[in-house]
Amino acid sequence: MKKLFVFFLMLFPLTALAATDVTQLEGSFKVGPAIIVIFILSLFVLVGIVFRAKDTTDYYAAGRSISRVGSGMAIASNWMSAASFLGMAALMYGSGYHGLAYVVGWTGGYVLLLILMAGQIRRYGKYTAADFIGDRYYSQSLRTVGAVIAIIISIAYAVGQFGGIGLMFKWVMGIEYPLAVVIGGSVVLAYTLISGMLGVTKNMQIQYVIIISSFMIPMFILTAKFDYFWLLPQIGYGAAVQDVVDGVMISEKSGLFNSLGHHFAIVPNPEYAMPWAASTGQTMFHWVAIAFSLMIGTAGLPHVIQRFYVVPKASDARWSVVWGLFFICLLYWSAPVYSAFGMLLSSNPEVGRLAPDAIVVYTAQLGNVNPLIVGLLAAGGISAAFSTTSGLLVAGASAFAHDLYVKVINPEAKPKTQIKIARLSTVLMAIIIASIAMLDLALIAQLVAIAFSMAGCTIFPLFLLGIWWSGSNRAGAKAGLIVGSVVTLISLTYLIAARYELVLPYSDFIAFYLGAWFFAWIGAPLAILTNIVVSRLTSETPIEIRKFLIEKVHA
Amino acid sequence: MQTEDYKISFFRPTTQRALVNRNLTIKLFLLWAVAIFGFQVLLKIVEKPVQEEALLRFTPAWENVLAGEAIEQDYKIAGQSMVQAMGKITMSPDNYASLRDGVGWMLHEVCSDEVFAVIQQDVQTVNALREQITTLQDSDYQAAKEAVIARAAPALGIDQGSLLAQLLSIGLSNDMAGISDENKQRIPEIMQLHMTHNRSFLTDTIFLGFPFHYFYNAVLLLVFFIGLCWYYCYRIDRLHARLNFVERTD
Repeated sequence: MKKLFVFFLMLFPLTALAATDVTQLEGSFKVGPAIIVIFILSLFVLVGIVFRAKDTTDYYAAGRSISRVGSGMAIASNWMSAASFLGMAALMYGSGYHGLAYVVGWTGGYVLLLILMAGQIRRYGKYTAADFIGDRYYSQSLRTVGAVIAIIISIAYAVGQFGGIGLMFKWVMGIEYPLAVVIGGSVVLAYTLISGMLGVTKNMQIQYVIIISSFMIPMFILTAKFDYFWLLPQIGYGAAVQDVVDGVMISEKSGLFNSLGHHFAIVPNPEYAMPWAASTGQTMFHWVAIAFSLMIGTAGLPHVIQRFYVVPKASDARWSVVWGLFFICLLYWSAPVYSAFGMLLSSNPEVGRLAPDAIVVYTAQLGNVNPLIVGLLAAGGISAAFSTTSGLLVAGASAFAHDLYVKVINPEAKPKTQIKIARLSTVLMAIIIASIAMLDLALIAQLVAIAFSMAGCTIFPLFLLGIWWSGSNRAGAKAGLIVGSVVTLISLTYLIAARYELVLPYSDFIAFYLGAWFFAWIGAPLAILTNIVVSRLTSETPIEIRKFLIEKVHA
Repeated sequence: MQTEDYKISFFRPTTQRALVNRNLTIKLFLLWAVAIFGFQVLLKIVEKPVQEEALLRFTPAWENVLAGEAIEQDYKIAGQSMVQAMGKITMSPDNYASLRDGVGWMLHEVCSDEVFAVIQQDVQTVNALREQITTLQDSDYQAAKEAVIARAAPALGIDQGSLLAQLLSIGLSNDMAGISDENKQRIPEIMQLHMTHNRSFLTDTIFLGFPFHYFYNAVLLLVFFIGLCWYYCYRIDRLHARLNFVERTD
C-alpha cells in the first residue's frame, strides 16, 4: 500500500523532470513547426468566424443541424483531448500495462453511454446537463448545484488541456511553461469567444482530420524506419511491444540509431507489457477501478452529454455514438505505438528522464522524423487540446449563463444579454483554468481522470436513475449528490494534502482505495444506492414529471 | 415500460419495445462487463510470478558474494545482471544509484588494483566530460566511453560490442570501490522488484506480433466496443421498423 502511495507522489514531479542539457529535445524557437501551428490556428479562427453563432440556439446546440457522421466526428474531436493525444502514451510509457486501463476506460464508456442514455438525452430536448437535472428533479437548487458541478468538472478537465497546450507551445516556441500556457490559453479563448458552438462543431470536424492525420503520419514513418510492419502500424507495433519485453540486442538491428546516436537496442523490459508488474506499483484492483471510473465518468461528463443535443433526432444521437467511437478508436489504437517506440528509442540512460506528457513528440524526434512532421504532430496535440477546451468552455459557459444566470438569477434576460454573460463566464473560466494549469499539478491524463471520477460520482447517478426510474425523486437526488460529493471531497483533500507533503490519518488506505483518478468506483455506486433508498423513504415523484418521462424521454 | 399511473422502471417493462430494449441492454451490458473485467480476472487467476533469466543467475551469485564465498564467475554474473537492471526504463534514480555501486564493487573485486585504478580514472573522465559536452557525439567523450568499455567490459565478462557494454560505460560512479551495507541489502530487493513479472499463457502467446493479453486490451476490446454499439443501433432501428414506431422529434 505504501509503495502505491509513494508511486502516486512520484508521479507529480515527473513533468518537471527533463533530459539533461546535452540531450535536450526542446531547444529554442522552431520556425517550421511554428508556421504549421500558426497556420492551423488561423484556420480554426477563420472557420469559427464563418460559422459563428447567430443566436442562443446556435450558440448552445449548433442549430441541431449536424449529421450523424459529422456529429460523430465532432464527438471524437471533442473527446480526443490532450489526454488522449499526449497523456495516454505518457501513462503507458510510465506504467506499462496499467496505462491500457485508460484506453479501455475511455472507449468502453461509450457503450454505457449509448445503451443507457444517448437517445433518451436527445429526446429530453434540453440544452445542458443542469437543465435535465433541474427539470427531472423539479428543483431549482439541484439545477444550481448541477450547474456548479458542471462548471467545476469542466474546469478540472480543461486544466489538463491547458497543460497540454502549454507543453506543446513550450516545445514549439522554446519558451517557459507558464508563458506558454498564457499564450496558448489566450488563443483558444479568443477562438471560442468568436465562434460559439456552431463554429466549434464545424471546427471539430476539421480538427478531427488534422488530429488524426498528424498522429498517424509519424507512426508510418517510425514503423517503416525501424523495420516493423508499417502498412498498418496499429498492428505492426505489436512486434515492437514484444521487443521491449524480450529486449533487442545491438546486433539484431545493427545500423539503426535514435537521433542522439544510440543503437536501437534495449534490455528486456517485461514490466512494460506484463500485467501489474510490482515495479510499476500498480495492482489489478487499480486497473479495474480506473477503467470503471473512466467509463461511468464518460456517461456523466457535461460536455459529452451536450453533444447529443446537436443532432436532429434520437436515432441520430445513437448512431453518432457509433461513429464517434470509431473515430476515437482510430486514435486509441494508435497511442500505444508512441509509448512502445518511446521505450525503444529512449532506453539508453543517456537520454535522461523525459517528461512523459511530451513523449509523443519526443518519440518522433528521437526517431529522426522530419522536424516539419514533428511540428505537425505538435500542432495535432495543440489541436486536440483546443477542440476539447472549446467544448469545455462552451459547456461551462452554458452552465453559468443558461442554468445559473437565466434560470436562477435573471429569468427575464434577453438573448443578447445571455450571449454576453456566456462570453464573460468563458473569459473567467479561462483565467481560472490557466492559473491552475500553471501549477503543473499532475500528468495530463491524471488531471482529466479526476474530472471523470467527479462526473461519475455526481452527474452519472442523476442521469441514470433520472432516465430509467421514475421513483427517483428530489430528496433521493439530493442525498445521492451529497454522498457522491463527500467521496469526491475526501479523495481530493488527500490528493492535495499529499501534494504538499501533509500526512493525514489513513492516508495509505485512502491512497490505495480512493485515489483521485478512480474514486468513482465506490462513489458512484454509493450515490446510486443512497438515491434509491432515500427516494423509497420519501414522497413520490410528481405525476407531471413521470408523465414527462413517458411522453417525452421514452416516447 | 409505463403503467397507468405513469411509473417507469427499467426492470419492469410494460411495452413490447421496452421489453426488447431491456433484454438487449442487459445482454450487451453483460457481454461488455465480462469482456473487460472477466478477462482481467482470468489474467489474475492464471498468472504466476516468473523471474527473468538474469535474476535467476544473479541470486546464487550474490549470495556467494555476500557470504564471502564467491569465485570470479560469481562477481561477473552479479555484475552483468546488475548492469542489465540498470537499463530498465522504470528504474528510479535511487535504485539506479544502488545498482551502480554494486557494479563498481564487482569490478573492484575482479580487477587488479592497477587495472581498477585505470578504470576509475576513465570513469571520472567520462563523468566529467558529460558535464561539459554540447553533443553526445563529442569525440573526446566517445573516446572516454570506449576506454571504459575496453577495460571494464572484459573484466565483467561483457561483450564489448554489446548493449550492456554501452550501459556500463555511462553507468559507473566516480567512487567505484565503496558500497554501503544498506545497498548490499537493497540490491537483491531491487533486482527482485524489477526482474519478477506476472506471466501466463495469455501473456506468453504471441498473436500478430503482440503478447496476446496486450493485443486483447489495446486492439480487440476496442473493436468489440464498436461492434456492440453498432449492433445495439441496428437492433433498435429494426425494432422500431418492426413496431412501426416513430421517435418523437422536436
